[in-house]
Amino acid sequence: MANQYVETGLCAPVNITWEVTYNCNLSCIHCLSDSGPKRKGELTTRECLRVIDELSAMKVFQLNIGGGEPFMRPDFLDLMDYAHKKGMVTCISTNGTLIDRQIAKRLDHPLVYIQVSLDGAAPESNDPIRGKGSFDKVLAALDCLRERNIEVSINTVLTKLSILELDKMLDLAASYGSKCRISRFRPSGRGKESWSRLNVSKDEMLEFSGWLNTHPGISTGDSFFSVSGKERRTLGLNMCGACKLTCCISPEGGIYPCAFLQEDDFRAGDFREDSFLGLWINSPVFNSFRQLEIKSCESCYRFDLCHGGCPAIAYHTQRKLGIPDPGCLENCIKVKPLKETA
Amino acid sequence: MELTKGYRLANGVQVRKESFGLLFYDYKGPRLYFVPSKDLLTDSFFNGEKSVKDITGSLAASGEKSRKKIQERILKLLDIIEAKGLIYGQSIC
Repeated sequence: MANQYVETGLCAPVNITWEVTYNCNLSCIHCLSDSGPKRKGELTTRECLRVIDELSAMKVFQLNIGGGEPFMRPDFLDLMDYAHKKGMVTCISTNGTLIDRQIAKRLDHPLVYIQVSLDGAAPESNDPIRGKGSFDKVLAALDCLRERNIEVSINTVLTKLSILELDKMLDLAASYGSKCRISRFRPSGRGKESWSRLNVSKDEMLEFSGWLNTHPGISTGDSFFSVSGKERRTLGLNMCGACKLTCCISPEGGIYPCAFLQEDDFRAGDFREDSFLGLWINSPVFNSFRQLEIKSCESCYRFDLCHGGCPAIAYHTQRKLGIPDPGCLENCIKVKPLKETA
Repeated sequence: MELTKGYRLANGVQVRKESFGLLFYDYKGPRLYFVPSKDLLTDSFFNGEKSVKDITGSLAASGEKSRKKIQERILKLLDIIEAKGLIYGQSIC
């Protein structure tokens, strides 16, 4: 990642995380947005079309769609069609339970990426986290997507439970011709309640780091730059992209640095009331986030690999910004000698 | 590389102008490419309708030597971008 160019300030985000609804038919115990029943005040279809118009005019390249479960919105596929007509790439994160052959047909588009969530390689390990019957429904969805050769990533949140099944998850993904993606567990939404129970220990994070470094085919989004080794240096971000490359729009149109910081303190504005371009350039929240420096990390030998890690985890666990990611590899080293070469 | 060629974006590639130059986004990956071209090239150049000769024609007033230097710089940048598979050249006429 060419940090010097990113830090000069981009004229628009590269991608936007857009949570299109809180409505979800599942109730996963680690849900980052505490999704469940539909809430009042979510953006209407007309407002969503305006979001797409505005982002397209700014040349935002990609929409990372999440929720809630996007397919709970009756207008969801029409919104995606509209974005594709504008040339925008969509990456849809779904729990997969509502995808049937008809929906798979609509998703068969060159500008669509699909991420289906699974947190275990069998019903016994997945369903306690994501809900009874969800595993089998996801496999049915994967069958529908595979029938149309649609590229899919199976996304797993790293927890004390899923870390035991990573190799099995790889096998499962391979059996569907899918990629495997591992996301970091963060204590936002319902994740706040399940954090102490599900978050991996430092030893486990170290073990995971070693595993990740030997599996370059695994994608991690922007999740694990704080623990990945130099082997993965060219595979993705080496810093937090919030307010520099990306930001988040909530179901009601609230604008935040990232999906994991949808807190009042970080609300930059509102799509209904503000110009998104104006906020991107001038928002005090965004500008202060861009200037965030994690001074205590700057002398660390890993600084070029992580730039202090994930501010959202630091905020949720310590209620402070500008401090090191509490799950960073250097902290792990203090607990256990590092096996990989630095 | 030729002065009279036009250039188009490869399939799945988008580009936008930034203060440092051009930011390319490749759907495959997805991947980003930062090209420090400053104001030498705009994103609209990649609609394939104008050649390097066309866009540098107005620089004649700054002298032949200066114009050639700018053309060389642009061709070098285009060479790098094309080698990455982000654009392709084609004859305009």
